[in-house]
Amino acid sequence: MIQTILDALSNGGLYGLAALGIGLVFGVMRLINFAHGELIAIGAYLLVVTVPNVGLPLGLLISVTGTAILALLMEVGVFKRLRYAGPAVLLIASFGVSVFLQRMYEVIFGALPVSAQVAPWMNGVIQFGDTTVTRGTILTIVLALGLLGAMWFFIERTTLGLQIRAASSDFNTARLLGVRSNRVLASAFVASGVLAAAVAFVAVTQRGSVDPLFGINITILALVGTVIGGLGSLQGAAVGGFLVGATISLLNSFLGSYRVYTYTWLFLLVIIVLLVRPGGIFSSKALKERV
Amino acid sequence: MAGHIPELTPLRSRAVPGVTRLRLVELAGPIAVVVVLTYVVSSLGAASSYLVQGTLAVLVMVLALQVFIGNSGVLSFGQAAFAMVGGFASGLATAPVRIKENLLKDLWEPLKVLEMGIWPSLILAVVVGMVVAFVTGVFLMRLNGLAAGIATFALLMVADNVFFNWKAIGPGPQVLPQVPKFSFVDESLILVIIVIVIVYLVGTSKRGRLLRATREDGLAARALGTSVWRLRVLFFTISGGIAALSGAMYAHHAGAVSVRDFYLGFTFTTLAMLVIGGAGSVWGAVVGTVVVAAIGEVLLRMEQGLTIGDISIVLPNGARGVAIAAALVAMLIWRQRGLTGGKEFSLPQLRKRRGR
Repeated sequence: MIQTILDALSNGGLYGLAALGIGLVFGVMRLINFAHGELIAIGAYLLVVTVPNVGLPLGLLISVTGTAILALLMEVGVFKRLRYAGPAVLLIASFGVSVFLQRMYEVIFGALPVSAQVAPWMNGVIQFGDTTVTRGTILTIVLALGLLGAMWFFIERTTLGLQIRAASSDFNTARLLGVRSNRVLASAFVASGVLAAAVAFVAVTQRGSVDPLFGINITILALVGTVIGGLGSLQGAAVGGFLVGATISLLNSFLGSYRVYTYTWLFLLVIIVLLVRPGGIFSSKALKERV
Repeated sequence: MAGHIPELTPLRSRAVPGVTRLRLVELAGPIAVVVVLTYVVSSLGAASSYLVQGTLAVLVMVLALQVFIGNSGVLSFGQAAFAMVGGFASGLATAPVRIKENLLKDLWEPLKVLEMGIWPSLILAVVVGMVVAFVTGVFLMRLNGLAAGIATFALLMVADNVFFNWKAIGPGPQVLPQVPKFSFVDESLILVIIVIVIVYLVGTSKRGRLLRATREDGLAARALGTSVWRLRVLFFTISGGIAALSGAMYAHHAGAVSVRDFYLGFTFTTLAMLVIGGAGSVWGAVVGTVVVAAIGEVLLRMEQGLTIGDISIVLPNGARGVAIAAALVAMLIWRQRGLTGGKEFSLPQLRKRRGR
């Protein structure tokens, strides 16, 4: 029982981090970034390639930096040029970037999974009476809490965070009041890159290998979380992602042989939430389409 | 109100792309191009003929996307779900009974004994596709913009998950083999011509123009008394039927069908074709499909190793996807209305003389 709860918490934390990464970017530029999954994948590839050679701490540093740089490149290379495009165009563009990067990974790293032990000690177990928990589960929960706390501090307590919040709620007014829009957008992308690298670290220790489609599943589910939690609300995104992750974990334990239909229920829920509250459960007022 | 819309001189400031009124040359042009290309390329050999047939099935899908996305301006990722429905309806209706009994033990009994010819199965596919599209469209078409994009994406996920796991209505994760194939490329060609005519006529119809009015200015169109929802449901349903036909054509082209034929890759390719060609017009759908299919084929040959004279080119696997995705993104950045600019086909000399 405790094990189930801990697994749910850990899974929820993982998806919460991914959803927050998507929500950050969505908040400032109304872009649902399908390519977030490819940020997670590059983070994982960098870990798998570097850690066996340079060790974990340096590998982590390379992975986080590389992912943040790729996120920044996405913004500068593609999305900056689509500043005045509608959300539907942005959505298609991010779909394009996502496929582009997947195929690039196939060209660079090959279509087959690349595997390496990144942090074998994470798979070690800890015994509490009759429950066994892996160190990875505990570390994921700690990491998720830590990063969510850091993000909260960044968004709520720093000047840049204040500017991001201002741009989130009314982009044009924020610009008129002297917020440097390009810097704000770039920093949101970098922050989402850092979060993607954290997700990559946890996911790669769980799975042990990376392939070009590594990030798709997490991203699709985190996207669900972002939508359910409320597009444009950062807390909503994190909570929504957490709920999705925890729900999947719980459904997998309780549904038995019907667990294959988890996705169906999850996505029907998405459609229903969108129909009832198109802005999500914790929707922000700023998002309403103006007439 | 809708019965009488006075013919005003179009505003000078911005030409709205897309079909506006029926011009025969706009219809004849794309058809002529498709017919000529089909026969020229398929005369090159059996492999080319096979490729053409597959491309024609994809073209029908791109036309299905065009009739909805192009006219309504609402993004849909969900049309592949209807192609999936059509592919399975047609595939299961035509596959031999003994194959179904041996391979698909969990299949629903009436589906097991069903066996019909290719043409009736195509009609069945279209009807089933339209019904499913109507039922889902009634709900989904209440949404706009981004929410519509995500909800239709969710629809695709649900369809994929259900078909992948529910073995009573399809082969589940298996491949459904032994679907009878089209004998000639002409059959696909006839279907494509019919679809081009339908899509063009529907687009130039009164309702088509009204829907395009809602795309350009939803509020103004509503003020005229247009029910945006009703129009969108209508076009979503038509598009669903055509998408189902595309799925069925694919099944009869490949001789087999499986769930993952109609997943993210298929959605991406067809959407890229539409955007690259120009979503606003039938001509754009045709151009996008032909250009992307041609480039894709050349790059595929290069991935397998291509020798021209003394030069031998070998591209790494995945290069094809990189190029198509890059073309899509570049098109969105620099030419959002696609190669055709969203305009219909026109003969170059005629346009000059008219001095438009």
